[in-house]
Amino acid sequence: MDISFSEQDLQFQEEIRSGLINDFPAHVREKQQKGESLSKSDMIDFHKFLYEKNWAGYNWPVEFGGTGWSPVQIYLFLNELAAAQCPTILPFGLSMVGPVIYTFGNQEQKDRFLPDILQFNTWWCQGYSEPGSGSDLASLKTKAVLDGDHYIVNGAKTWTTLAQNADWIFCLVRTETTQKKQEGISFLLIDMNTPGIEVKPIITIDGDHEVNTVFFTDVKVPADQLIGEEGKGWTYAKFLLAHERFGIAGVPVCKVQVAKLKEKTAAYKDADLNKKIAELEIDLMALEFTELRTLAAIAKGGHPGAESSILKIRGTEIQQRISELFVEAAGQYILPYEGPEGFESNKNPAGPDYASTSVAHYLNFRKTSIYGGSNEIQKNIIAKAILGV
Amino acid sequence: MNLNYSDEQNMLRDQVLKFCETNYDFTDREKILDSDVGYSPDNWKQFAELGWLAVPFSEDNGGFNFGPIELTVMFEEFGKSLVVEPYLSSVVMSGTILENSNYAAKQELLESIIAGEQHVSVAYAEANIGYNFLDCVTTLDGQGNELTLNGSKTIVLNATNSSQFIVLAKHADSLALVLINKDTSGLEIQNFKTLDGQTCGELTFENLSLTADAVIASGEEAIALFNQMIEVATLCISAEAVGAMTASYQKTVQYTKEREQFSQPISNFQVLQHRMVDMFIETEITKSLLIKATLQLDSNDSEATKTISALKVQVGKAGKFIGQQAVQLHGGMGVSNEMSIGHYLKRFTVIDSMFGNTQHHINKYSTL
Repeated sequence: MDISFSEQDLQFQEEIRSGLINDFPAHVREKQQKGESLSKSDMIDFHKFLYEKNWAGYNWPVEFGGTGWSPVQIYLFLNELAAAQCPTILPFGLSMVGPVIYTFGNQEQKDRFLPDILQFNTWWCQGYSEPGSGSDLASLKTKAVLDGDHYIVNGAKTWTTLAQNADWIFCLVRTETTQKKQEGISFLLIDMNTPGIEVKPIITIDGDHEVNTVFFTDVKVPADQLIGEEGKGWTYAKFLLAHERFGIAGVPVCKVQVAKLKEKTAAYKDADLNKKIAELEIDLMALEFTELRTLAAIAKGGHPGAESSILKIRGTEIQQRISELFVEAAGQYILPYEGPEGFESNKNPAGPDYASTSVAHYLNFRKTSIYGGSNEIQKNIIAKAILGV
Repeated sequence: MNLNYSDEQNMLRDQVLKFCETNYDFTDREKILDSDVGYSPDNWKQFAELGWLAVPFSEDNGGFNFGPIELTVMFEEFGKSLVVEPYLSSVVMSGTILENSNYAAKQELLESIIAGEQHVSVAYAEANIGYNFLDCVTTLDGQGNELTLNGSKTIVLNATNSSQFIVLAKHADSLALVLINKDTSGLEIQNFKTLDGQTCGELTFENLSLTADAVIASGEEAIALFNQMIEVATLCISAEAVGAMTASYQKTVQYTKEREQFSQPISNFQVLQHRMVDMFIETEITKSLLIKATLQLDSNDSEATKTISALKVQVGKAGKFIGQQAVQLHGGMGVSNEMSIGHYLKRFTVIDSMFGNTQHHINKYSTL
């Protein structure tokens, strides 16, 4: 056993670090440092920058235009990105639909979609949850009926993150009503500009517009946009969920956040708060090493199964605790609330500069224990797969 | 970065596991604890024959040149079966101090420990200093061959079986570690059972005369040896706790599958499933910190001290949670002394209390 990184890995880390210092778009960096929200074009600029550095396919094999990096390199890369206060890489194209296409798609589909995903010419969103299908995803009802060389899609998808920006959506649709609900599901790629699609915003409790409901009314989707076989969509969806979900725990961002929390609250000399921060740091240290253990298992050729549920549960719990501590530290100064439109008055209210953004973040991050399979569902997975109960 | 145990380390684990499976079911353990000495001299002899008592020592001192990784492998397995043999006090605590010291007579002493011929305990705790062991009141006065020890030490593990003691004492504006024989005049020993059925003692020194050859180390060297010993010992009981956590959640899963209420195994109930998942997660999270601390200590990383404090905090919290929930999910059987499960809770309670409890290490972590 050996805890240290190899010379090559450290050199790799240095290359990423200097690449970020030299080339990370300055206007994006500035907004990130101030905690301002990024526009659509900022996000596109950031992802284009990744492509130009040849980093976009950080978790893709070389044959599809990826980096072919080892798990350790991916880990170091994501750490450096967070430390440089980069935004989180949007997972929908690069980590979700991309790997499904290069694993289960045909050659034509690979040629058609993969380069645009890497270059971020297309913004993808995820069509999984439905108004009636949350944790019980396989109960989904959005229907796709084959009519000649087209599917006709009817139904609704919801909690669709940033659908308002998306060019394409990948959907789980029901192509057959079967006894076993998992069997009649197919995986379909749909152009968001197709007639019959309507995107309706959902405003979340932080006042922001991040998620949407997407309605499909007689949407004509070319049959060549079906991935793999009809009725096998559930298998692909499970692959996607179990696919090496690097960074699911969000450790690098948490580390940056905790450092910021310590910096902002050091002057308070609040023993009670400092004790809570120490306990948080300890839990974060334990989580990070748990992630490294998973990484080591992957590097050895293993697949993270139910263990990645630990990372999801613990990671989101810690993310939420950090957000709570910021709010606790800000005290009464969280009251004047800066909505998405900014403060009503031109003057910033009294209190610490992090007060308003921290409470928005706190409210927004209640989502983390709900999305991606709620933490309760993750516990069901561990109970079944590991404890055998 | 390599987090795989070597073949040799895996073999050692299998060996300890097999020994415990054969010789250490709960009734065996109960009998051992009921005996006069509170451990099994037969087991101890086997430990010596298997070479286990030589594990952490250098080849020069008759050992295998293994280190923290092998120790934690053994302690994790010990923890699963709640092994009570005094490996911690004789081999880890006394052994670590002697091994790293420049003490003239250390080789002979280590050889006798490795051969299983004698037990040696470290006397470090006192009545009024809590976990600040270096602030001790016990004092070694004089110099050269005219040394006098006065004071008292408490919670000396396995004191009843030890023929010699390594005592931490205040000495000439600093500290010293001295070796005393149990038969020395001026030494009085009171023995106690610990809450988990093991033994410990209180030593009182009254004008106990010592010569220069009793001094293992003094000054900065004594402090460094002592602190190093506490770190290794903390690591070992943390590994023991991880083993006990693993056994606790696994026994609980097993029990809930067998126990039927409302015409079904109680493991069908989601509230119990999620509780057991939480026990499993806490175990894995603790194991992560254990591995990190072990590897840092093994490579003399300067961050090791901080990670060991983090580990001890996690061990305290997770041990309490897992121990309590294991009892809870066993229902009335959980509080029955006849069942093993409550004895894990006792061991977690003991482990948290030793070498700095959760609160102590949260504070220590904050200052590092």
